[in-house]
Formats: sequence, C-alpha cells, structure tokens
Amino acid sequence: MTFWALYFAEWRALLADKAIVVTLFGGVVFYSVLYPLPYLHQVPTEQTIVVVDHDNSSLSRKLTRHADASAKIHIIAHANSIDEAKQLIQQGNAHGLLVIPEGFRRNLLLGKGATLSYGGDASYFLIYSAVVEGLVAAGMDAGKQVQLMGLLARGQTAALADQSVNSVNINDVPVFNPSLGYTPYVVPGLFILILHQTLLIGTGILGAGQWRKKGYWQQVSPMAIFSARMAMFVSLYSLFSSFYIGYCFYAYQVTVLGTLAETALMMLPFLLATTAAGITLSCLFIRRDLPTQIFLLSSMPILFVAGFVWPIALIPEPLVWMSQVIPAIPAINSMLTLNQMGADWSAIMPQWLQMWLMFAVFSGLALAGIRRRQKEVHEAH
Amino acid sequence: MLTMMDFVKREWRALWQSPWQLALVTYIPIVSVLCLWWLFSAGLPRQLPVAVVDLDNSQISRMLTRKMSANAVMKLESYGQLDLAIKDMREAKVYAIVVIPYQFKYQLLTSKSPTIDIRYNSQYLLVGKLLSSQIQMSLGAGLSKSAEQKLLMSGVNHASIAVNLSPVTSQTTALFNRNNNYVGFLVPPVLIALWQLLAMMVFSNALNKELITVNNQVTLPQDLWIKVLAKCAVFLPIMLLHSSFILLLLYQYLQLPYAGALGVLIIAQAFMLIALWLLVTMIFLMMKDSARCVSFCTALFAPAFAFMGITFPVNEMPELAQYWRLLMPSSHYIDSHVSVVSYGADSALVLQQLSSYWMFIFIIPVIVGLWHRAPKAFGDSVDASLLNNSAPVTSGVI
Repeated sequence: MTFWALYFAEWRALLADKAIVVTLFGGVVFYSVLYPLPYLHQVPTEQTIVVVDHDNSSLSRKLTRHADASAKIHIIAHANSIDEAKQLIQQGNAHGLLVIPEGFRRNLLLGKGATLSYGGDASYFLIYSAVVEGLVAAGMDAGKQVQLMGLLARGQTAALADQSVNSVNINDVPVFNPSLGYTPYVVPGLFILILHQTLLIGTGILGAGQWRKKGYWQQVSPMAIFSARMAMFVSLYSLFSSFYIGYCFYAYQVTVLGTLAETALMMLPFLLATTAAGITLSCLFIRRDLPTQIFLLSSMPILFVAGFVWPIALIPEPLVWMSQVIPAIPAINSMLTLNQMGADWSAIMPQWLQMWLMFAVFSGLALAGIRRRQKEVHEAH
Repeated sequence: MLTMMDFVKREWRALWQSPWQLALVTYIPIVSVLCLWWLFSAGLPRQLPVAVVDLDNSQISRMLTRKMSANAVMKLESYGQLDLAIKDMREAKVYAIVVIPYQFKYQLLTSKSPTIDIRYNSQYLLVGKLLSSQIQMSLGAGLSKSAEQKLLMSGVNHASIAVNLSPVTSQTTALFNRNNNYVGFLVPPVLIALWQLLAMMVFSNALNKELITVNNQVTLPQDLWIKVLAKCAVFLPIMLLHSSFILLLLYQYLQLPYAGALGVLIIAQAFMLIALWLLVTMIFLMMKDSARCVSFCTALFAPAFAFMGITFPVNEMPELAQYWRLLMPSSHYIDSHVSVVSYGADSALVLQQLSSYWMFIFIIPVIVGLWHRAPKAFGDSVDASLLNNSAPVTSGVI
C-alpha cells in the first residue's frame, strides 16, 4: 500500500465511525458555541443590591442615587432593617447590601466622620467583586464631595481644594484583556484543551475499534500506519485549529497579538505531539467506550493545572511537575504568552522544544505500541 | 419468576466483573476528588509576583514600596528599567507592574498631582483583579500617611486628621464566605461537576451492558425497565456515598463554614441523580451504541461547570444559556447547595426548591416513545443477558 492509499484508508475509517464523527466534528463545533455561551455578556453588570438607609437624609439619598448610577450596581429595594435585607439576599433576589448608619449626614457635617457598611455575597466571587467595587466607588465619591465642601467652606480656592482631595492620581489599567471580559480570559486556554481532548478521544476510539479486528492496519509496517494516521489527524486538526484560532478567537473578541506564521509554528508541534500521544494511548484500549470516559475525567484537572484559571504559583509543585507530560500544558501557556500577551518567540522557545521532545518520545512509544498490537493479532490467528 | 432482588444481585455481579465500572465507583472518584482539592488547597492567593519600577527613588517612593511589600498577596520584584518589566509581564513572570514616576516626591511637594501607573494582567482575570485592588489599597494606605503629614504641617490638629483624610470610612463585609476562601467558593461546584460526570458514566456503562447484538442488529431486552430500576437501586446508594464523602471532606475534615443542616443535601443529590439518569436513559435509547452514548453524554455534561453560575453570575448569562442551564441537573442542585451552605436554608425550603426539576418529567413520555420504537430481543431475556455478559468485548467493539 502506498502512503496515500493508506492516508485515504485512514480517512475512510474515521468517517465511517459514527462515534468518532460525533465526538470530533460534533464536539468541536458544539463546544465552540456551548462553552463560551454563558460568558457572552463578558462582565457582570447591574448586580442587585438592597439598601438599608437608617439616615434618610439628603446626603444618604444622594449616595444611594450615585450607587445606583454605577454600571455595576442596581438597587432593587430599600429595606427597613438588616434582617429584612438578609432575607432578600437569602431568597436570591439581591446579592449585596449597603447600610447607611443613622446620623450619617449630621456626623459628616459636624466633622465626626461616618462609616458605611457594604456587604456582598462572597459565595459568588464575580458578583462580590462587582458589588464591592461599585459601592466603594460610590462611597469614596461621597466622601470626596464632603471633603471638598469642607475645604471650600474653610476658604480654599476650588482648584487648590480639588488638588488636595486628589493629591496623587492612580492610573490603574488592565492590559492584554482591556475589557476585563470573561471570554477572552477563558477561551484561549479552553479551546486548546478542547482540541487536545477531542484529538486524544478520536485517536483512542479509532485505535480501540481496530486493534482486535482484521484490517488494512496490520498489512503494513508500524511506521507506515503511524505516519498515515499522524498525517490524517494532523491535517484534520489543522482545519479545526484554523477554525478555533482563526475564526472563533475573532468572533469572541479574544486578544490576538501573535502573527499568523508564529501561531502556526507554535501549533505544529502541539498537534504532532498530541496525535502521537493519542496513538500511544490508543494502544492501551480495546473498548471503544473507554477513551471518552478516561479523557473526560482528565479534562477538569488539566484545565485547572494549566495555570490560567488558578495561578500556577499556588498549585502544589508535584502536580505541576506531573502535568508537564501533557501536551496541552505547554501549548496553553505558549498560546497565552505568544498570542494573548504578545511576547517574543524567544519566550516560548523552551515550551516549543518541550512539545517537540514530547512528539519524539510519544512517537517512539506509539510505534512500540502498534508493533505489540500487530504481533498480538498475528499470534491469535 | 424472577424477583427484584435477583435483578439487583445480577447488577452487583455485573459490577464485580467489570474492572472499569468497579474503578469508577471505588477509587477513581476518591482519587480525583482529592487531586482537585489538592490543586486548590492554597485557598487564598498570596505571594503573587509584582514588578515595581521606582524611577524616583525618594523617601516617599521607598515608603510606598515597603507598604506594598507588607501586603501578603504580593511579592515585589524591583526592576530598574520599564522595558524589562514589560518583557516579564508578557511572559507571565509578573502579574502586574507599578511605576512610580521620576520626580514623584518633588511633584507631590510642589502640589502637582503626580500619577502612579499600575498595569495589571487581566488575561489572568482572577489574579489581575485581585492584584489591582490590593495594590490600590496598599498605595492608598501609604499615601494617606504622607497626606497626614501634609495636614499636620498645615496646622490641622491631630484629632481631626482621620476625619479630614477620609470623612467616610467604609467597612466591607464578605457575606457567607468570610475570608474569601477559594476552596469554599470553587471546590464544591468543581467536585459536584466531577461527581455528575462520574454518575453519568457509571449509569451509561451499566445501561450499555444491556444492548444485545444479534446478527448485527442491536436490540433491547424485553424486561429493560426492571433492570433499569435494579441499576438505580444499586448505583444510587453508591453515588450518594461518594457525594457524602465530598460533603464530609469539605465541611467536616476541612471545616469549611456551613450554615444549614447538610443532611437534606443528600435528598437533593438523590433528586439530581434521578434527573441525570433520566437524561442518560433517553440518550441511551436514542443512540443504542455504547461509544456513541458515552460521547453524546460527554458532549452534554462536560460543560456543566460553566453553567452552574458560580464563577459567572446566572443573571448575566444570555437567555439561551439560562435555558440550557436548566437542562443540567447539577445547576438545580448547586442552588440548593449554596442556599444550605451559605444561607442556612431549612429543609422545607430545600424540598421546595426540588420542584425546579419539574421539567424533567417531560423526558418520561419521550423515553416511553423511544422504547416503543426500539427493536426488542425475542425469547428469554435472562439468557440473552447472560450471553451478553459472557462476551462483553464484542458488544463493546461493534
């Protein structure tokens, strides 16, 4: 059999297998829509809070209006007591509360100072941070206004008063994901992981279905079947990767800073190493329903150990070390470094070489695995 | 006539004979639960690298640097040049850069409002947002020190300084998860998502065993339903044992705070399992092939975690996502979980929440319809199943 005949035989075997087609084509397309779906609105806005206003003065009402004007906060109710507010939070109607103490305005005008209390539901961190950021900004604003009034009353000029209220400007800017959106945060790493997992499942099911049956795969040398299978999966996944990185990244407004050539060059050893790893692992399976289950179980740990959801500095060292044999780990990190943060090629060089090393090692293992499977069948017949 | 007990015994035997299924109900859940917990065990982010570029090198700028390094969340690294800091930021070696400008002190003394630049890496959203607020807090504390001196110099008496600096002080309270612990926030939903996947696999594997292949035609046994009930009777207690292990690990061993009675959560979990298994049964009847059934269930339930609404609030999801969320039994359960653990909901409220599963009732007529259309095996079903058990490999391969 020539290489091309074998290559097309591989394609036929893949397309004839409904389980693989469901996982690969269905999975890749389905996930590209489904995973980012909850995050499409990017930033939590208008989180519901309850106000407990014990003061009921002009200033407290102004503060409430200012808080409501914040994009992050929506005031849904005024409660008479903290207990009442607590009930609203427990019923899930509100996620935070603002308590304005009695005598708030009076104390401020007397120069005694007053304390505002904010509370946010920390069972949900994104909601909590939105509520607290919004309320703190409104509170600080109220404070500055009072300060400004005081300074002006003491006879300072407006310009000087303003200067002494804001003596230092703090210019706090997010970079690489300027909108603080949730999809640009999750999508790049997640999509690499989806490519990785579906590729492993695909090779796994294909192998598991073949090893115990007669077929074209035993009539050729391990090297021939290995290279044909590599070529087939890598060409298919070049297509999928182009769809993910070339189309979905733009559609989901992910930061894209890498050049086409560099990103493609980075993806090459990733696809090669993952396919080789997939073929290696497929030699361990004979049941076609197992690869999906095993790789599914590994998905969540791989996602979290990759270090973009939860900082790598906080993950126990042994777990980080163990994760280094998974092709997705260096791939996710180099994708983020190269394409999302715009680093030079030299920055991902070690990880790039690591993926090539994985390719070499997994290729050797895959060849040995195929040889063993072929021998097994020959002995059986 | 076979009794229910015989079918249950048959199920136990089948479980015992299948190494993978046995692994799925014994050590795999425990190992993966412990692994995921270990991953997040740090709980509170601390010592995250931050670059400081001090172009002023004055007494005040050094004081600000000291204030920041006193914050446990940050680990400061000094950079002489901005270029180097930017390069390391791009390579994710530092998560934020603080630039104190040249002549910072001079500008402060001459009333010129200098600007301190903070750039934080929001590609790592969690770390970036945390660092942004912590850096601002530390800088604020440091700057109020120098503002205090300024006020004293301008003749404000010591007692009224605090009020002059910040007339409105704020007290921020994290409700329900007091110290903002990530273990309490993230680990329970992650483990519930994992547990849901395990329950899905266990049940679909058990169902797939019932497929009988005769002459390349896949058929179902006549008495499928009593077998399905037997499977529920076997796997429901086993999976609830695992979920109880999760609850014990989190709330007894790790002593995460909880407000309500955890016992009622077991009932909620049982409901979640039944809803999940209804879905799995429907997919099984639609696919009638072991690999395809598992693949389809995987496609459906793998993203369940994203839809729970813990990391990203439900009311901010697009409407389609909110509907899709209701399809996932885990999102119904997590609401009960949060309301018991955080809000201390009583049993009556949790039982009332269970009514949110009502739409799963509509799956039952679909299952019945699929069952009537499916080809069924003839003859004695017990023999057929024995035949099926004796050759598990063939049924899996074809």
